[in-house]
Amino acid sequence: MSSSSNVNRTGLLETYSYDDQIVRMFVFATIIWGAVAMLLGITIAFQLATWKMNFGLQWMTFGRLRPLHTNAAIFAFCGNAMFAGIYYSHQRLLKARLFNDALSRIHFWGWQAIIVAAAITLPLGLTRGKEYAELEWPITIAIAVVWVVFAVNFFGTLVRRRERHIYVAIWFYIATIVTVAVLHIVNGLSLPVTWTKSYSVYSGVQDALVQWWYGHNAVAFFLTTPFLGLMYYFVPKAANRPVYSYRLSIIHFWSLVFIYIWAGPHHLLYTTLPEWAQTLGMVFSIALWAPSWGGMINGLMTLRGVWDKVRTDIILKFMALSLTFYGMSTFEGPLLSIKSVNAIGHFTDWIPGHVHAGTIGWNYLLIAGILYFLVTKLWKTEIYSKTIANIQFWMATIGLSLYYVSMVVAGITQSLMWRAIDANGKLVYPNFIETVVKIVPMYWVRAFGGTFVFVSFLLMGYNLYKTMQQGSVGIEEVYEAYALDDSSVEKNATQHRKLEGLPLVFGVLSLIAILVGSAIEIVPTMLSNHYISKIDAVKPYSPLELIGRDIYIREGCYLCHSQQVRPMVHEVLRYGKQSEAGEFIYDHPFQWGSKRTGPDLARVGGKYPNMWHYRHMLNPRDVTPQSIMPIYKWLVEQKIDYATLTRKLQVMKQLGVPYSDAQINNGVMSAQTQARTITEDLMKSGVPAEVEDKELVALISYLQRIGVDYGSLPKSN
Amino acid sequence: MYKEALEQFNKPWLPLTALFIFVLVFLLYLYWTFKKENKHIYDYSSQIPFEDGVKHE
Repeated sequence: MSSSSNVNRTGLLETYSYDDQIVRMFVFATIIWGAVAMLLGITIAFQLATWKMNFGLQWMTFGRLRPLHTNAAIFAFCGNAMFAGIYYSHQRLLKARLFNDALSRIHFWGWQAIIVAAAITLPLGLTRGKEYAELEWPITIAIAVVWVVFAVNFFGTLVRRRERHIYVAIWFYIATIVTVAVLHIVNGLSLPVTWTKSYSVYSGVQDALVQWWYGHNAVAFFLTTPFLGLMYYFVPKAANRPVYSYRLSIIHFWSLVFIYIWAGPHHLLYTTLPEWAQTLGMVFSIALWAPSWGGMINGLMTLRGVWDKVRTDIILKFMALSLTFYGMSTFEGPLLSIKSVNAIGHFTDWIPGHVHAGTIGWNYLLIAGILYFLVTKLWKTEIYSKTIANIQFWMATIGLSLYYVSMVVAGITQSLMWRAIDANGKLVYPNFIETVVKIVPMYWVRAFGGTFVFVSFLLMGYNLYKTMQQGSVGIEEVYEAYALDDSSVEKNATQHRKLEGLPLVFGVLSLIAILVGSAIEIVPTMLSNHYISKIDAVKPYSPLELIGRDIYIREGCYLCHSQQVRPMVHEVLRYGKQSEAGEFIYDHPFQWGSKRTGPDLARVGGKYPNMWHYRHMLNPRDVTPQSIMPIYKWLVEQKIDYATLTRKLQVMKQLGVPYSDAQINNGVMSAQTQARTITEDLMKSGVPAEVEDKELVALISYLQRIGVDYGSLPKSN
Repeated sequence: MYKEALEQFNKPWLPLTALFIFVLVFLLYLYWTFKKENKHIYDYSSQIPFEDGVKHE
């Protein structure tokens, strides 16, 4: 048994074994959910290439499946892979079995139950309307509970460890557990209306900042830090070489954890978020270049001396390419955070291109390497077919390249068309659909690129299955190590070295590192309702508009339409007056969106007659030839839900929306009256009277209200 | 009130001090990490992933 030169381990020699069965279970779940996530991905990719792929089914529209795809990819696929890798490495790095077998099983089955709940509720349109945090409140609570189970199991193992030193991979795991808990709880705060409906406690600008503080750091602390930890364990193991620089890993860890948390506001540049918060987000995003590349260099340089093996060893090949993509996407992220670049890239397809360079290039490829490593170790055999693995590698690489290049081309093309202004000061492409039609060929390229990636994943599933078949799990092996006693304490240890022996203190310091940035950004914004100029003309939504807004959220309209006119000439020319923070104070949750597959809707209220919206929702091609929007025929079949309206108004009042008791008590009657008025207008164009109690009428009432209060004010206001 | 407070904020030394503290902490921790006498500790630490444990006979 090796030991530090300052340590001579003595004392009680204990025996123990590793719980590898739980790792195998998470490996299976990773393969299954990975295939599901990618199948959903290519489904929605084809839906953007041709609207017919929505099949006219409400639970299959882009707006409902897109959140399912992102949740499946992030939390089901990457989540299960992360747990498999953490549980395998954590035990071995600490020379201890996981704290409690029962907790491990509760963690596993709890997480799978949450995924199944997401797979049922999201297509049904049960959503909080916040990107990557769509799951309704009972599931949100269940996630918190399962996360706590994971944390107890993880830290319990740390307490029972036989290795005093906590290896760098575990620091990244600690930061992940602590930060994800904070992000999930703060962003998940909602007031329930029913078991399946809740409203975010934040509104407008506040909600936007909290949401993107969460959204950005979900990428940081769910898709990056745990996988960096896995990289620090599995790359040295696969290469059979120690990490290039342990010192650099320390710098990497603290810098990354401290800086990452500040960068969220780069998702909200040019919005009505306070300017100082935008600048802060941009500056810290650029600062992220250093630690991100420090980690990438540390990973790649670990392969120094074994580059010949990278050519032949499929596991190293996947890992080397994933690190390369990590370097590329962490270069591109800060680049997109520079305001002038962001002005071009934001709201376009460049962003999904960037995101998938990270999730496919970094996460999927690293997971592929880790899965091949784990399956060969846990089933005690060799990879079934290196040829299949090589075909997988190239299919994934080519598929991702097609995806990325097509999206960057589409994004920049469309952005330049949006902003083209002629010599007379008019938009060159005033009709938004012109800019969509231009990039539809790129949507086809993306869909086929995604299909390549999906097929590569299926090949891996088959290869891993055959590998498992030819191997054998065998009996649980027993190991021995000295109990952790005073003999493990190093003489003359440095302060950081001592710190690494104190997981609780280490965890608290990590928490402080992420809370500094969070507090400085969020606390002033928590007070923002006090210093955002109140606009007297902006009133709460009427009861029917509130119902309509909930339908807008249910159908995921915010995934293709923004509600934010940026202070740019071409946006003001195209959409109308630029947005103001005071416009959104009653928006629980905010609906600014992050992508414009269709035009911005911040000033759509009153722009078209009711009949235009009616025809548009039933068949968008009737009013906008070549539109790629799905049809929403069920909106004229399903009745308006008046039963929960009073409760909705009461919850909104609790959240600070100034509804009077009379407005709440008469809410249903008021909504029905407004529905009748809209229906009478539609009937003039031949629409049957039966639509009066149908959802489309409520949605029209909301669409006709968006941006009207502030937008109709004279410009001096 | 908050809006007025922020509008009248005129203390450029405050963010500069924060920047100075950030840089100083970073430099100290850089020095601390790269101290030569810690080399053996980092060499040991980087070997931990290779110790899966000694099999009990």
